[in-house]
Amino acid sequence: MAPSVEVPESVGEVVGALAGEGSVVLAGGTVVMPEVNTTAHDLRALVSLRRAGLRGIEVDGGRAVIGAATTLAEVGKHERLAVLRPVIESIASPTIRNLATVGGNLFVKQPYGDLAVALLALDAEVDVAGPDGASSTRPVADVLRDGAGEREVVTAVAFDVPDAAAWRYTKAMRRKQNSASIVTVAAVLGLDGGTVGAARIALGGAGAKPVRATAAEQALTGGPLDHDRARAAGEAALQDAEPFDDAYASAWYRGRVLPVHVRRALLGE
Amino acid sequence: MAIQSEQIDRSYFAEGRDDDFDVIGTPVQRSDALGHVTGRTEFFEDRNPPGLLHLKMARSERHHALLKAVDVAPALAVPGVVKVLTHADVPANWYTILRLIGVEPNDEPVLPEDRVLYKGEPIVAVIATSEQAALQGARAVEVTYEDLPVVLDVEEALADDATAIKPHGTNYFVYEGHHCRRIRFGDVDAAFAEADHVFEWRYQSSPIEHAPTETTGCIVIPQADGRLLIHSDTQACFFTLDNTALILEVPFGKLRVMGGTVGGGFGGKVDVTLEPIACIAAMATNKPVKYVYGREEEMQISSPRAAERIYVKDGVMDDGTIVARKVTLYVDAGAYSRHSPYGTTKAAAHMPGPYNIPNVWVDAHCVYTNRTPSSAMRGFGVTIGDFALESQMDRIARALDMDPLHLRLINAYRDGDMKAHRKVAEGTALIEVIQQAAQLVGHELPAELRTMTVYSPASDGWTFLIKNP
Amino acid sequence: MPKSYIEVLVNDEPREFLVQPGTTLLGALREELGLTAAKRGCGQGTCGTCTCIVDGEAVMSCLVPVETIQGADVRTLEGVARDGGELDEVQAAFLEGFATQCGFCTSGMIMAAQALLAENPDPSREDVVRAISGNVCRCTGYESIINAILDAAQRRRATGGVQYVEGGV
Repeated sequence: MAPSVEVPESVGEVVGALAGEGSVVLAGGTVVMPEVNTTAHDLRALVSLRRAGLRGIEVDGGRAVIGAATTLAEVGKHERLAVLRPVIESIASPTIRNLATVGGNLFVKQPYGDLAVALLALDAEVDVAGPDGASSTRPVADVLRDGAGEREVVTAVAFDVPDAAAWRYTKAMRRKQNSASIVTVAAVLGLDGGTVGAARIALGGAGAKPVRATAAEQALTGGPLDHDRARAAGEAALQDAEPFDDAYASAWYRGRVLPVHVRRALLGE
Repeated sequence: MAIQSEQIDRSYFAEGRDDDFDVIGTPVQRSDALGHVTGRTEFFEDRNPPGLLHLKMARSERHHALLKAVDVAPALAVPGVVKVLTHADVPANWYTILRLIGVEPNDEPVLPEDRVLYKGEPIVAVIATSEQAALQGARAVEVTYEDLPVVLDVEEALADDATAIKPHGTNYFVYEGHHCRRIRFGDVDAAFAEADHVFEWRYQSSPIEHAPTETTGCIVIPQADGRLLIHSDTQACFFTLDNTALILEVPFGKLRVMGGTVGGGFGGKVDVTLEPIACIAAMATNKPVKYVYGREEEMQISSPRAAERIYVKDGVMDDGTIVARKVTLYVDAGAYSRHSPYGTTKAAAHMPGPYNIPNVWVDAHCVYTNRTPSSAMRGFGVTIGDFALESQMDRIARALDMDPLHLRLINAYRDGDMKAHRKVAEGTALIEVIQQAAQLVGHELPAELRTMTVYSPASDGWTFLIKNP
Repeated sequence: MPKSYIEVLVNDEPREFLVQPGTTLLGALREELGLTAAKRGCGQGTCGTCTCIVDGEAVMSCLVPVETIQGADVRTLEGVARDGGELDEVQAAFLEGFATQCGFCTSGMIMAAQALLAENPDPSREDVVRAISGNVCRCTGYESIINAILDAAQRRRATGGVQYVEGGV
């Protein structure tokens, strides 16, 4: 009834510990521990990543590789990842960010998971370890869509660090701090002179999972980044969105403000 | 940096002031603040007696249903579960806050006998050696429901064809034979007929949860002398003591309540809904028992401020004088009375607000629905009424293109005015408060409104027919 | 299931004890060590009343299984006052600034403030708001708490970090 807590010291041991029935990965604990603490649950073993060697940030030649158990606070302090600081600061509180992990953010339910939205815009790649030494690298979109297998664990996340000029991020919240997303917009814009050559736009609070706003991307690319095109992209973003009701905002409200926040994010307003 | 003390403005009400204050106006340290900043203040859950058992409730999943069968055997089979309590274990199975002074009817069972009236209503109490075991036991209880019609709207609840959800046969609290609290003062219909304008608007509030940082709870510890020691975060130790004794059918001296340390009350910790069943559990097991709400229970199950629906119809003259006010008010008490009948009485008495209106008609209903029972919170009965009344005043002012402060000043009540529920107003200060507030924010008032006082008589031009107050 | 053996440093004292598997740091402090200043307001990491400092970082202690922090350096409110019970600057500022009413959030607030001031001795108002953004207070409206933390920072800077303040009313 009380779950055991395993603290393995390698990825292999983590995967081995996940073989047991009712075992789950315990990263920052921000999702698993509320369940353990407050509900009648059937978890038998919590497999902690704390000592499995999955913390750390390397930035080499513009590419960042972040261990899955790296905390959000650690990402927020890294001088080469300053461009992501607004993302980190928009998530929860320092007391959560000191625990919550990069890997864990891929598995939280919307409207949480703002780093996941950013990683989707960044087209990040996710390393996943599985049984019998299996290891693979997957697009973050696949992990967000399919999750990971019961006996798999995310070990690292990698992406090209965008220039500050190319990066867009906004999170609309009911409070200024420590509040879940009404809508989140993250974008990497390839700007060639004044023209948008390529765009990757990801949305949070816009569906059961983070969403690539492909219609918005199409509306934006091939022209200047001006008010009319940004507005059109904002409107187009609704096509890929399935806003939902929750305690933070209604689906109606999310649908109303999504185009506005997309437009403002793109224009850097 | 010490806190600045406020200056008391002694220029108001110069005659009749008696303010040789020693303490008022000076900063006085809270007696418990030292304990708070050192972490030594004892909240109920800071007790950790050996052998502590944990109580969790199996709760209704339906809004309104008969309990055809309740099978607790699966709960008893959960490792760690030591007992399950049902209504049969409760000596006097009624919680009504005012039982002690004979206010009827008893309408809320400690544990239901044959039906549930709101989603989340406790059905049986599971006692176990750990919280997790108690939660597992509560989850395992099997309940067979027969759904009954659900009433969720206060006006629908009062319709002729509505299902009566209460055993006394009506969806309203009966006030001395009447279906609501009534104020009848003057003749509103005659005044409406003479008024230059008639404004009617509708107001609706939602239930509001206190959300105290500390959830509601208690620990009951059997004592060596056979008494029960109750550590509770109740705001009302004597409510707890008295109601628990009545429910347990024990002499009051058998219970000892240690409390007074409340991690946020705001009115949410005045009902006695945890201690009695925890006491029964402690007596049944002869062990200490803790019953504490989880955060979700606190948000969903614990009583909120009542939602209210209020219709305010005013007869108003061109110069802004309100000559008639008709208020139809519905308090959503949810499934059980708790403090709502009292709150609704306060609501009626509070009408028509701090204004001298010669014709007033009020029907204030305390209505039962299949919602979480509402209860006390910060000025309950009055606060939401004021939201409606003051919104109404602003809307009238807007409709008449009038300064909203002017509107209030010319209608303000004064010492000596007869209020609608037939008490003479005394100690009024609305006029002076508005004048001071206007001055503080730099809102200009015309001379005659700056000089009026709660003592100056209303001029004839502003008083209308008062019929048989 | 057999209990787990835990060794941690708590307020500079080495402590060792047994816990049921899965016990959180909060549970261990309150139930094994008698350190009840950290509170349980939600068990879900949303209220902040459980805030403690682990290896220099303010965390929600209700979310940390104590078995995952063997050997860690844990600080709680009980370790904040100086020898002889004299209050530190944050405690004194809360006391004198009326920054505590029911007291339930106070431990978490003070520990969040301690973590902030250890890292940033001259915080802006915004820094303070950020530091306590995980701590819910339902009584004060936060202004007195923010002011007390800024006041404490000033006191600490003025005395070079050590100030003995007489406790009491």
